Amino acid sequence: MIDARNLSKNYAVTRAVDNISFRVNKGEILGFLGPNGAGKTTTMRMLTCFMPPTSGTATVGGYDIFRRSLDVRRIIGYLPENVPLYPDMRVSEYLDYRARLKGVPRKGRARRLKDVMEKTQVADVGHRIIGQLSKGYRQRVGLAEALIHDPKVLILDEPTIGLDPNQVRQVRALIKQLGGEYTILLSTHILPEVEAICGRVIIIDHGRIVAMDTPENLIREIRGGSRLVVEVRGPGEEIRKAVAGIAGVRKVERRGNGVSTLAVDVREEADVREEVARVITGRGWGLREMRKEKVTLEDIFVHITMHDQENG
Amino acid sequence: MGKIAPLFMKELKSYFYSPIAYVVLVVFLAFNSFVFSLLMIVLNDPRMTIEGSAMQLYFGRTIFLYLVLSIVPAVITMRLIAEERKSGTIEVLMTAPVTDWDLVLSKFLGAWAFFLFLWAPTLLYVAVLRWYSPLDYGPICSGYLGTALVGAMFIAVGLLCSSLTRNQIIAAIVSYVVITTIWIVGIFENLVSGELAKGIFAYLSVFNHFDGFSKGIVDTRPLVYYTTSTILCLFLTVRIVESQKWR
Repeated sequence: MIDARNLSKNYAVTRAVDNISFRVNKGEILGFLGPNGAGKTTTMRMLTCFMPPTSGTATVGGYDIFRRSLDVRRIIGYLPENVPLYPDMRVSEYLDYRARLKGVPRKGRARRLKDVMEKTQVADVGHRIIGQLSKGYRQRVGLAEALIHDPKVLILDEPTIGLDPNQVRQVRALIKQLGGEYTILLSTHILPEVEAICGRVIIIDHGRIVAMDTPENLIREIRGGSRLVVEVRGPGEEIRKAVAGIAGVRKVERRGNGVSTLAVDVREEADVREEVARVITGRGWGLREMRKEKVTLEDIFVHITMHDQENG
Repeated sequence: MGKIAPLFMKELKSYFYSPIAYVVLVVFLAFNSFVFSLLMIVLNDPRMTIEGSAMQLYFGRTIFLYLVLSIVPAVITMRLIAEERKSGTIEVLMTAPVTDWDLVLSKFLGAWAFFLFLWAPTLLYVAVLRWYSPLDYGPICSGYLGTALVGAMFIAVGLLCSSLTRNQIIAAIVSYVVITTIWIVGIFENLVSGELAKGIFAYLSVFNHFDGFSKGIVDTRPLVYYTTSTILCLFLTVRIVESQKWR
């Protein structure tokens, strides 16, 4: 649905996006992940025809973003980062105006408006003035606006930024529900978000793609196994050595003092939990806790971007 | 081009969402009523020997029209594009299936329609005059025509200035200065020597044009001047809106 080829964008002195290529398939939710200023917004602005790329090209729904810009804009719904709205307008008035602008036919427009407002849960504030709405409602009005003309592609820039935890959940649930029906490209710098809703992730840093895969694959690739966290009462260094000696253990790190907490990296397909317990209790130390730690995208993110910096 | 209708309606309505429309309308009418009653007082004074009918003076020989026609366009156009850029709504606007011409033209038409709407109540003055004496409608119509055309040009100038900045106040000041320059450039007619120079400045003199309009003379030269300047400003605005994408 989206096919970006060697997109680059230079601003006056900086190169915001540097030669990135990717595809988003129909019905897929692709997450764009990166620190602030990594080039996410710029990439989205190029795909939505808000600004042309310095070099490279892209097609959305088969239309070239430069030559067939109007056709592209007809099939995308775009939610910019800070959700710009007209504060003096009423919600339903604004959505009606946007529907006309985006060519929703007169027949069935009222029906479409009602459906979208219900879907995004803004029906109860339809008569209110946008400037008086809370951030959560404004976000959903923006989302309703993006959906109003039943686009094929949704491009959402930081759709959950500035929301409270409940609202974040609601918006995520909504986006997840929209996946499949729509092709979605969303950007975020919040990692659990990508894990929660995206089928595939692109990690972007300093304008370049540094990783692109499913969240699960990224996690497997980087850790090559699992990690145990073990809390033991006893002499820290001795315990570390004892645990490191167990077959299948790759690396042991100590965390904290007094009560020793160890992070034990385990080689793939090895389950050393029982062995670890036996060694520790066999030496008379107190085993207080042992759990499998879930590797988060956060770790991957830090790993990749730090790694990148070292090389760069 | 099919998107002009919704954009135009939105622009026109926007004036009434905020207090701007009401403030401008009230000040405009208060000022014009003052001017009109002043003219009535002067004309009814037997000691004064002034030629011309009331509406002719209204559109012609006073400085008041200048004040109205320079401040009002600057005020009603300042937010047109500057506000969209400042608030970021330009991003949703430009990513909707709308061409740059659609956008600029509908903003221009919206502001112009509001400008003409401001003048509508002054037709009452005509009605008041008609109550007391017979009227020659020709000069009145051409006076309104001149106002509409000059208004179009100044609104296009204001729109252009609004596209250059994201600060509404700067837009208003710049367009006020440009409009004033356009008004007073005709004065050079009396300051320069040489037939050609005199001719050029006379052609550009808005005061001269209004003298004609208020007498019922519809010369094609000012018509061409105003229409082409309007189109030029709109064209430049479109180019600026376009160029801002490339930064």
